[in-house]
This record gives sequence, structure tokens and C-alpha cells, in this order.
Amino acid sequence: MAEGTLAKLARIRGGELSAAENVASALERIQELDRRINSFIELNPNALAEAEAVDRKIKRGERVGKLAGLTIGIKSNINVAGLRATCASRTLQNYVSPYDAEVIKRIRAEDGIIIGMNNMDEFACGSSGETSAFGPTDNPAAPGHIPGGSSSGGAAAIAARLCDLCLGTDTGGSIRNPASHCGIVGLKPTYGLVPRQGLIDLGMSLDQIGPLSADVAGTALLLETIAGRSDNECIMLKVDRVNYSELLREKSLKGMRIGISEKFSELTDPAIMKVIDGQIEKLRDLGAEIVEVDLPNLERGLSAYYLIVSVEFFSGTRKFDGRKYGRRIEDVCGEEVLRRILRGRYISQKEYRGKFYQRALQVRTLVRRELLAAFERVDVIVGPTVPKLPHRLGTKITPMEMYAYDYLTVPANLAGICAGVVNAGRVNGIPVGLQVQGRVLGEPEVLRVMQALEAAG
Amino acid sequence: MGERLREIERSAEEIIQTFLKSTENLPEMKETYYSLEAYNVVRPDGEPSPEEERRKFRERFISIMPRSDEKGNLRVEVAAWLKER
Repeated sequence: MAEGTLAKLARIRGGELSAAENVASALERIQELDRRINSFIELNPNALAEAEAVDRKIKRGERVGKLAGLTIGIKSNINVAGLRATCASRTLQNYVSPYDAEVIKRIRAEDGIIIGMNNMDEFACGSSGETSAFGPTDNPAAPGHIPGGSSSGGAAAIAARLCDLCLGTDTGGSIRNPASHCGIVGLKPTYGLVPRQGLIDLGMSLDQIGPLSADVAGTALLLETIAGRSDNECIMLKVDRVNYSELLREKSLKGMRIGISEKFSELTDPAIMKVIDGQIEKLRDLGAEIVEVDLPNLERGLSAYYLIVSVEFFSGTRKFDGRKYGRRIEDVCGEEVLRRILRGRYISQKEYRGKFYQRALQVRTLVRRELLAAFERVDVIVGPTVPKLPHRLGTKITPMEMYAYDYLTVPANLAGICAGVVNAGRVNGIPVGLQVQGRVLGEPEVLRVMQALEAAG
Repeated sequence: MGERLREIERSAEEIIQTFLKSTENLPEMKETYYSLEAYNVVRPDGEPSPEEERRKFRERFISIMPRSDEKGNLRVEVAAWLKER
């Protein structure tokens, strides 16, 4: 059984394991395993020196932060000063970040050690981890299969124990999808809870930065580090810092109302549903009341999502014209990135009739209303994360087949609510994740349900 | 290249057609641009970044510029239409 995040943190704080030893051990594992997995694009050359500085603070008896000495991988679309934020694209392959994103400043302030930049789908356009210009990432929990995407490198690095925690981003499922396929924990926070300043956007009205970890405690710890209002962020909820770890002490699910929907079964592989149903029974045994909720328009969200994200992506990528740095995006990007740019351009050109983008925003209203109405009856909604098992690396599938991985994850982004994933079991040896969706700022309830399931084993 | 581009354009349009079909019978309703209604758009002016941080930013930014002039200023591409004049 691997050591939990909090147990390791206690050993570092207590001087039993030095931060430098923890970093050195991570670097050794990366050296040994990552040639095959390909979860990191670049390592931080200062990681060991930064860890030694934390050790000196501990030795002097000074206060250390809540992430003291833990190793953290960062998705390659978040700015970390001095490291490359490539978005896994040739467009930005030599772009060295001149500043730290707000979330990185917060991690550094809590003595977390940035170990390196994780691989990802190019510009976060993908659900498989195969579209990176730096090559595909393998799934350590199911070798030879896709790890999911777009936070493919972060999820794979956690699954292979190459680092303690990772930061991913989630626009339509990009944290939850790979967390499910790799058998780990991940959480997409409520839109506006975590500052996005310093994130290279995919879809500005949908993107959120969030944690990936091996256990629920790690996710809670990283979330409480990065969450909370920032004056540098223009679209942000007025929320002060919340201590999610403290809230996890409540172990019982008594009094909780947990929603399920038959819509999930209609869209999902029966073998996956069998595993999910087993977890729902476990929740009932833990004292929760299971309530059926109605989500009739859930699947309409997928095509609306891809319209919205294409328009926002087209707009967001106009700055990559090769003039100030990098290379012009259309000249060097992969097929999926080009597809989204062309689609976004087409929709934007035709939009004078209000036929596409405006209509997609109306579907967004519909999906949001439906989910918010459900949350008047229940505390969380549980179900599968991804409706089908991950394909083998290199298998040719159509764009529509690829998009179908996102059916169950995009509604949370459209509605701006939070959603987490915890491992539910395996099908044919491949991990399957349970998705726990919560209302706006419902992270405490989501984490509580995930923690209860993790503890129940 | 032409055929590849056409194929990408075809698949880009496929999702638009799927979307139009799925919304045929939906009534008109209000659009949701952002899921939040409270924006922090008039944020207060903060303290300027420390001098050291600004110096490092400038150094790092200069190091990734593709082209610069003799004074170290960023040089961007001259528009084609300007050259023609």
C-alpha cells in the first residue's frame, strides 16, 4: 500500500524524510520510468535547491507551509517562471514563462516544490493524451491504453508515483477524464473559485485549474492552497480561503442526499455502470439517502460545449501569430487544434444570424437550470465519469468518437459547478472513476463523499 | 495539404450539424455567457510589483523575443501592405 499524502507530509515536517530526499527520489523515479510513460515535458533544474531551502527552514524550527517538501507537477499550460509553458505545441515550444501564475505563487508560498511541467494534449484539445507535439503519454494503470486527457501527463505521473500532486486544468473534463482512466483522484473546482491568471486559455468561460492526487486528502490540500479570491483575476467568486482538509474529518454520510440519474445508464457502457452501481450501494450502506433526479437534456450539452469552446478557442489563439514570440499556430499545430480553430472561425463568421454560438449559450442555460434544479433536492449527484473504456494508444477514431468521451463531464463546466472523481474499481483491468458533482461551491460535500468511498475501500 | 484541410473542415462542420439537429425543437431562452453573475471587473489598482520582480520579468521577456533592435526593443514583423507603399 503506497504512503498517503498526509503521512508523507508528517514525515517531512517531523524531519524523518527530508524534502531533498523526497525530490531526489521523485527525480530518480522519473529518470527510471518516464522514458516509457512520457508524462513530463521538462523538469525544474532548481527543484533540489528549493527543497534544501525548505529543509533548512525545518531544521531552524521556522514555520513551513502546508505543502512543505511535496513534489508537484504542473500542466504545461500554466506559467511557471523560468520553465517552458509549451501547451504541448510547437507554437510555444521555446516559450519560457517570464512570470508565475497566481496558483504557482500560492504553491510556492506554502513550500511546495515544482518538480516539472507535465505533458498534455496540445492546447488542451483532446481527451486521450495523444495529441501532444512531444508525443503521447502512456497509462501506468493500464499500460498500452490512453491515460485520458487533456491533463494526461499529470494523471499519469500521479498514477506512476512520479510526484506527490499535480495541477491540471478542466474545460470539459480534462482533469476528471484522465483521473478516471488512471485510477486516481481529481477535482474540477467551481468556476471562479481558483484564479486563472497565468493560465493559457482554451475556453475562458469554462476553464478551471484544479488538483490531481493519489488520495482525497492530497486533492483537498492542494485545492485549499490554490482556491480563493485574487485581485489579479477579473472573473472570480468572492470567496475567502477554505480549509477543506479540516472539513474532511466528518466521516459519516448520514443525512446526505445523493442524486443518481437513469440518463447516466443510457449513455454508458453497461460494464462500467455495474462498477458504478456497486459504489452507489456502498454509499447507501454508509448512511446516505439515494434519490433519483431528472436530467432529460444532459446529452444536448456535448455539441453545445464543442461550439462554445471552438469560438472561445479561436478567439484565444489569435494572439499566437508568431510576431512577439513562438510560431504562428496554424502553421505548426496538430489536426485537432486546427479543427477547432477552423470551426471557431466558421461559427464566428456566420454568427450575425445568432444561429450557432448564441444558440449554444441558450443550451448552456438549459443544462445549468436543470442541474441547479436537481441540486435543490440533493447534496451531490454521482455517476460514471467517462461513458466508455479508454482505447489502446494509436487506435484511429473519428473526432465525434473522441468527443463522446466527454458526454458526462461537460455539463459541470457548462453549469459552472464543481465535480470530483475517485476510483470506483476496474473493468477488464482498466480503472473506472466515479464522478461526484456538487453545487456551486459544493466542494466540501463532494470531497466528503469521495473521502467516505476511499475509506470504505 | 488541400485534401487534409478539406477533411478537417468537413469534420469541423459535422459537430455544427449535430448541434443544429439537437436544438431543432428547443424554445428560445436567455443566453448564459459566464456561469457567474458577479465579476471583479473593476478591481482596485494594486501595489506595483517589487522592482526585483519587474527586472526579472523584463530580462525573461527579452530572452524569448524573436527579434530586437540595437536598443534591445522588441521588433515585430512589418505588415506586408506597408512594405508595398
